Amino acid sequence: MTRVGAALRSGATELRRTPLLLALLVFAPAYVIYVFTLVAPGGTAVVHLGGEVVRTPLAEAFPAFTTPMTAALLSGITGLFLMHSSALADSRLVVAGYRAHQVVLARLGLLLGVAAVATAVSVGVMLTAFSPDHLGWFVLGTGLTALVYGMVGVLAGVLLARITGVYLILFGSMIDLFIFQNPLATDAPAAARFLPGHYPLRVAMEAGFTGTVETASVGWTLLYLGVLTAITIGAFYREMRVT
Amino acid sequence: MSRLTTVTRLRVTELARQPLTLVMLLALPPIVIEMYGVAVKSFPQLPTLGADPATVGRMTGTLFAVAFLAGLVGLFQVISARRGDERAAIAGFPRWELLATRLLTMVIIAVAGATVALAALSYNVDVATATLAFGFLVLAALVYGLIGVIVGTVVPQELEGSIVLVFMADIDNALSSGLFPIDASTTIPLVGDVAVTDFVPLYHPRELFVTAVLDGGVASGHLLPALGWVFGLLTIAFVAYGHTAGNGWFTSNGGSA
Repeated sequence: MTRVGAALRSGATELRRTPLLLALLVFAPAYVIYVFTLVAPGGTAVVHLGGEVVRTPLAEAFPAFTTPMTAALLSGITGLFLMHSSALADSRLVVAGYRAHQVVLARLGLLLGVAAVATAVSVGVMLTAFSPDHLGWFVLGTGLTALVYGMVGVLAGVLLARITGVYLILFGSMIDLFIFQNPLATDAPAAARFLPGHYPLRVAMEAGFTGTVETASVGWTLLYLGVLTAITIGAFYREMRVT
Repeated sequence: MSRLTTVTRLRVTELARQPLTLVMLLALPPIVIEMYGVAVKSFPQLPTLGADPATVGRMTGTLFAVAFLAGLVGLFQVISARRGDERAAIAGFPRWELLATRLLTMVIIAVAGATVALAALSYNVDVATATLAFGFLVLAALVYGLIGVIVGTVVPQELEGSIVLVFMADIDNALSSGLFPIDASTTIPLVGDVAVTDFVPLYHPRELFVTAVLDGGVASGHLLPALGWVFGLLTIAFVAYGHTAGNGWFTSNGGSA
């Protein structure tokens, strides 16, 4: 555990030394949510949440469903580059005796920090335009969306080239979170429930518009996150053996 | 001129040697296009869509798949080759030639990506005028390719540059996709009221592309703004790159910044 802590501390120090990145972690979500809030059209949105239909002004729906998306996008891209930028150092850690899971867990710890910052900033800006029915659950849903996409980014960072990884994170999150899981959609295909954003976004949207959350969605999200982490550890272990 | 061709060929070969890049060029755009089609089909027939949601989704997917591919190529071209450019400048290449080779490589990738994406779109959608649609697709790719080059020049770190580009693309995708009626405007001194969508890089190329696919014509009022974006961004790219080049911009003097 101390090894994970040491790797985590060195990663955090590296992040702290890049002020532009820290500024972007705060500024980028704030800017996106502000723009979406600013340009939201008038009229009413019909939000579909499971069997329930909620009517709400589009000006409130826009910031509500862009908040988790923004946090997820930021975590996903950061997760991707966490693995790429530290690949050389990580391989040295493995040579020095670190196990694959210890390195990946240290990266997951860093991701927790990034996801927490992205979530706090995103929700903070959103609150100027929209107050969710249950703030605590909404923050949890947004944080989980960010964490799941962060781990998708870490996995992509292990398996793919940077340019391909960024392309996949961008389109993956856009298609999954903005279109497939969009609560304005009425007839999403059954396969959409297997996408990474389905359960955590459902937690956020239910918390935002009804205030009651199906706790099973939190469980499914944690399971999804666990499976993703296991796959990432396996992929990282294989990568280290190959190199 | 032959130096320009040699370096451009080198950059394209560099990209082509990476199998994942080729896969991305050939396989990812069709997947993105189809996913967009399936995804937008689940939206109700919103008045803003104007056509069958699946068709609108596929058209939007085609445009974004090609444009963002060019954007990423532009970004990574500039960032990853920064050190190589320094060496090439020391070896006697004027900086403008190096930037020109980056832009040429990006255009070649954009044309290749547009060809694959338009072929994928044509499989499910009847394209009214394929040549026009192809031209506007390349125009959209140029817009984002140039944005990628500018971001890569101003923010020369991969993570930070990617975040800036991806967030721009994210806003662009949402505001110009046609899914929602964006009618907000802002007042600019001496100009007057300007629609917010005029500040979204892909809004005009998307209108041109959609009209070419569905009606076969050129959407009136969108061609000039779209060309304005391209020339404006081209100017900014040259100014930004020139700023980093210092006095090695036009002459092969060692490229000292």
